[in-house]
Amino acid sequence: MTDTTASRLQTATRLTINEDWLSVLIGPLVFGLALASLGNVDLLGWAATTKVWTDPSHALAPFAPSYGALSGLAALFATYLALLLVLSAAAAALKADVRRFALTFSVTFWLAYASWILGSYAHLAAVTPADFSKYGISWSLRLTNEGGYIIALLLGLIIANFFPRFAAWLNEAIRPELYIKIAIVVLGGVIAVTAAGKLNLASTVFLRGIAAIIEAYLIYWAVIYFIARQYFGFSREWAAPLASGISICGVAAAIATGGAIRARPQVAVLVSSLVVVFAVIEVLILPFLAQTFLAHEPLVAASWIGLSVKTDGAAVAAGGITEALILTKNAAEGINYQPGWILGTTATIKVFIDLFIGIWAFILAHIWTTYINVAKPSSRAKLVEIYQRFPKFILGFILTFIIGLSLALSLGKAQAAQLTAAIGEANIFRVTFFILTFFSIGVLSNFRKLWEDGLGKLAAVYVVSLFGFVIWVGLAISWLFFHGIKPPLAG
Amino acid sequence: MADTDLRKEIQEQQAEPLLPIEKKLIVGSLLTGVVLLAALVVVNLFLGS
Repeated sequence: MTDTTASRLQTATRLTINEDWLSVLIGPLVFGLALASLGNVDLLGWAATTKVWTDPSHALAPFAPSYGALSGLAALFATYLALLLVLSAAAAALKADVRRFALTFSVTFWLAYASWILGSYAHLAAVTPADFSKYGISWSLRLTNEGGYIIALLLGLIIANFFPRFAAWLNEAIRPELYIKIAIVVLGGVIAVTAAGKLNLASTVFLRGIAAIIEAYLIYWAVIYFIARQYFGFSREWAAPLASGISICGVAAAIATGGAIRARPQVAVLVSSLVVVFAVIEVLILPFLAQTFLAHEPLVAASWIGLSVKTDGAAVAAGGITEALILTKNAAEGINYQPGWILGTTATIKVFIDLFIGIWAFILAHIWTTYINVAKPSSRAKLVEIYQRFPKFILGFILTFIIGLSLALSLGKAQAAQLTAAIGEANIFRVTFFILTFFSIGVLSNFRKLWEDGLGKLAAVYVVSLFGFVIWVGLAISWLFFHGIKPPLAG
Repeated sequence: MADTDLRKEIQEQQAEPLLPIEKKLIVGSLLTGVVLLAALVVVNLFLGS
């Protein structure tokens, strides 16, 4: 990322409709359409789902058996058209060039989804001996089909670093913040239905989410700010957004902090770029480390990922990969955990951290305008900034969570099964938005250009902070609060 | 600001000493964070027992 996504975010904070509010509209729309099946009206069952394959003609199928007359490719085309329609309307609301968006989104969708299909190839995705036998193979990279996210990311990286003009051309559709926020809003409902079956555990996870807030804002931020100022000699203008980007939540926090301390816009843009680059590296490494060392402590792994990966998109998506890897490893040992808890814990940790961005930005704004760059009274920090900088997509997450939880707790057994199927349909779109997010993050990560922009010294702060402090403290606190707590078993 | 200017600015930045308010922010945040975490650990143990 250089000027594109971060500057869109800055501009968007001044617009009435921005990506946050669009996610509050689109996420519940997807969720609501999925819930129509509770009234025996299946509005989203045509959406394409992908299976592990050796024969590509068997890779795709519509989600619902009632749409079985549709071929897999037709289901995928219908999914593409639906997303094209909704997201083009979103682009229009954002005052983007809609025709250009439609064209570039079409290319983006098919490239990203092709990566997902490739990721489900049996030699990449199959994990257990039973899988090997089923697909008639003798070897596999054992990435699970969520390895498709990694392939989408790698394809995006290849485009960004070897075909920069093509990457620039795709720009209008490369909107990872929009895609991941919609996905997280949909995920709210999915998490709620999962959590309803085990409320005690869910409330435990929430309580521990509070520890994440304390850690990110009060401990990480202070240490990283001190390191940036004292040992790397960064000015206050650079050190504050850098500390927020590394400790809290990447893009949004860096921009909120930059705005709060009245830094120049290009400072937050460059810091945001740095966070995305490192998030890419973390996504490629941390889930596999979690599988190797924390497979028997799944929620420690989930919390660790949420505390260590510093963009919403990369963190939540990394949580999904970690879940697939850990569930598979445990399944091979005969332990079948219920899916959704690892991803849900990671997402909850990130959402909790995001909740306080506005408040932290206000605190910093107050300190900066009152004590450091003393401003005229009319320019000082105002309480309304808390609302202005609050990530609005969290309202969508809370909405779908409340709806999902209410339904899950109130429905009888027969309808509970229908609700599970409905959530499955919503989840198809959540996964599709994840795929688009991974691909987009990759396309935004032109390492050479970012290095030319002066990223070296900033990157040094990130390396020292991440590998010297953030990862280890995150692991310690995750262990302290989640050790011994396991997801429920499936079935 | 041009990219090369930004790179030059980062590389040639002169260190600014920490102001008293910055020191208060760093120390205050850390102390508050550690105390609150410790309290949360106690609550966690109490709820778990």
